[in-house]
Amino acid sequence: MRRLLSLCVVLCLGLLARAEDRVSWEITPRVTAPGQPFRLQIMVESDIVLGAAQFISREIKPPRGMALRLSGQLIRPDSNEATFNFSGVAPEQLGEHVIPSFNLRFARKVVLVPEIRLRVSDQVTYRREAQARAELVLPDRVFYVGELIRGAIRMRGGENEAVVASYGLESLAEGFSMAVTAERQALPDELGQGLQTTFDLTPIREGAGEFSLNGIMLVQSGETGVFNQGGRDRPFAFRRRLTVAHVPERGRPPEWNGAIGRFVAEGLQISKDKPEVGEPIRLRAILTGDGNLDRILPPELKGDETWDVLPATERRRHAEDQRMFVYTLVPRLPGKLRTPAVRLAAFDPATKTFSRLEFKPLEITVTGNAPAQVDLVTADPAAPVAAQPKPATGLATPEPNRSSPFFRGSPEGSLGDAAGFWSANATVLGLVVAATTVTGILGYLAAHPEIRRRRRARALMRAALAEAEACRRRGDARGFAVAVVRGLQAGVAARLDAEDQAMTQSDVERVLPDADRARLDGLFLRAQADRFAPAPPLAAAGDADADLALLRRLLATR
Amino acid sequence: MKTFALLLLCWLAPLAAADAPGAAETAYAKGDYAGAVELWSKEIRAEGVTAARLAALGNAEWRLGRKGRAMVCWERALLIDPRDPVANAGIKHGLDAGGVDRPKPTAVEEYAAFLTADLWLLLAVASFWTAVLCVAVPRLRGRAASEGNQWTRVVALTLLALCFPGLWGSRSLDARAVIRKPEVSLRLTPTQLGEPMSGVSEGDVVRTERPLNGHMRVRTADGKTGWVRAGEIEAVRGPGLPADLDQKAAP
Repeated sequence: MRRLLSLCVVLCLGLLARAEDRVSWEITPRVTAPGQPFRLQIMVESDIVLGAAQFISREIKPPRGMALRLSGQLIRPDSNEATFNFSGVAPEQLGEHVIPSFNLRFARKVVLVPEIRLRVSDQVTYRREAQARAELVLPDRVFYVGELIRGAIRMRGGENEAVVASYGLESLAEGFSMAVTAERQALPDELGQGLQTTFDLTPIREGAGEFSLNGIMLVQSGETGVFNQGGRDRPFAFRRRLTVAHVPERGRPPEWNGAIGRFVAEGLQISKDKPEVGEPIRLRAILTGDGNLDRILPPELKGDETWDVLPATERRRHAEDQRMFVYTLVPRLPGKLRTPAVRLAAFDPATKTFSRLEFKPLEITVTGNAPAQVDLVTADPAAPVAAQPKPATGLATPEPNRSSPFFRGSPEGSLGDAAGFWSANATVLGLVVAATTVTGILGYLAAHPEIRRRRRARALMRAALAEAEACRRRGDARGFAVAVVRGLQAGVAARLDAEDQAMTQSDVERVLPDADRARLDGLFLRAQADRFAPAPPLAAAGDADADLALLRRLLATR
Repeated sequence: MKTFALLLLCWLAPLAAADAPGAAETAYAKGDYAGAVELWSKEIRAEGVTAARLAALGNAEWRLGRKGRAMVCWERALLIDPRDPVANAGIKHGLDAGGVDRPKPTAVEEYAAFLTADLWLLLAVASFWTAVLCVAVPRLRGRAASEGNQWTRVVALTLLALCFPGLWGSRSLDARAVIRKPEVSLRLTPTQLGEPMSGVSEGDVVRTERPLNGHMRVRTADGKTGWVRAGEIEAVRGPGLPADLDQKAAP
């Protein structure tokens, strides 16, 4: 009895005890080299049916420098097991890296995954060149506010893997504005197989900021088979701490207007090289080079005694990496003048020095008279004043009610400015021209009926030719002859301006003088033997190719 | 025939009618030029613009010493009726005794002044279409052109050729403006600080060339070129009454 009771207690305890979730993980390979791809598998076993987990990518926080991406989850319906696969790339730093504990959120419960450890060692044999890898190309120096920094992510293929695509680029840049300039471009030949995405960074405030970039590239290995297509995702992650400073005030020229980079003053262009005094011309200064062309303030031009400068309007050309500053200049004096000097200064972030740029002035010949020219008056004060006869003029008496039938209208706008005047006239003119052209074409065709007749005959001959070919393939000798003769009659009738049915061998000879009469007779006999009486047995068929050639020759005759 | 005669009578009736002098004319005759200006302006707004009304208004404005407004009225009257006697007399008076300058019309402009711009255009369009139809109709009908048709073609094409200088001259006459402000300086450059070169006075007519930066490049009667502010001149081609330059723009 006691044994039975203890057995019942054990059974009841077993039923009442809450089953625990079992979580296990495995990293392949267990120890990796720096930058080596690895796979992480997490297995979950629970006492209830689990289903799919949600928000995994949000929950898992890989350590600095490690790229990790969920590749997929294996879930069977009505099963209390789930498997999660991740692909990752080990950090460059040696040592043990810990993925902190995180939650897997299933529909009915939350399962806690313990922390996962990955050991990175340089004792592991790993050839970096064999695998596809991503590299961040960014200058390693202090950056300056307003500078244009050109960067790139190079996704280089390895000996065993090729990069075929990339997607999901995410960036976080505190204190920077970032713009992707080109995505998934092929790498230059010297860098081997792969893709690259280029971007522009512009620091917008001073200080140190974190810059991170994540993304995924699709790599394809050489091994392909029925169950292995060879394509797999591989994440990449970069984190860089960037330091930004202001352009130094020491040695900064007064004409510096925000230019950071290396620039070249291409030259000046003018819209007219011989203007009049007071006639506005356009002056264009073209600046090229590598730097923040978009952020440069246009250099100020001041007017002087020779030039007046009006507010500038500018155009930019992004494609050619150049910037154009446009000014309107008005010459104030005649003669040979030089355009005002356009100067600017630029800061080179590589050498940390300022440089001055000046566009070479152009010489312009200004025509016209100087404004200060005064006409001298030569008058003799002692001379007697000549009595000038005053012209007989005066205002006429107003006649406001006078009207003229022909001169009515408004001085506000002329008829030519009225909406629709010119378009209506142009439309009607177009219609008249079209109608006249159509009438002319129809009249010409009516005057030359042979054009239509020969066109119809050519169509009939082509049809007969096709039918004859078909009959020959079928072995229908009579049908062949009938088709050829019908075509010959149609063609000859159009030439001789007669009826098709009335054409005989002699008529064909008139049009085709070198045609073989015996062949024509045989052809017509085969075709028209049953015209007036039952047909006799078929005579031996002649050379079908020669018969067809006859018809083709007639068709080709103009 | 009766209908035609009635229509002709209706058309010519206003010409023959001798109206009694209106209130504006009476005011003008009594020397109340301000009243005459007000009444004629009201009449123009109510009943529309005619060359005679504009010319009369120009006379009243001149009597008030407003040369710019008077010249605008007379020039616009001549755009409607190039042979209006009152407007022509007023301009002649302004040029000879009033100290006003006006560019001497070119040969083409004198030719164009024979008719109005609209009449030149209508004549050109009518002659063009006559010539086109003279060519197209016989072709559409499939018949040879008659002798009358040939003559009509020649006449239409001749008329068309005669219209071209008229159209060109009308265009040139339109590109003029009247100085509306007293003592306006012709500036060297179209800027606020543009250097004054010479002066033009109110009522002077100038040829306009091109606008830039709120200014207009003009050429005076004696051939001087320079820039004036757009608000200092009023184009000859414009609405009937002269603009009120002192009126502020609506907010």
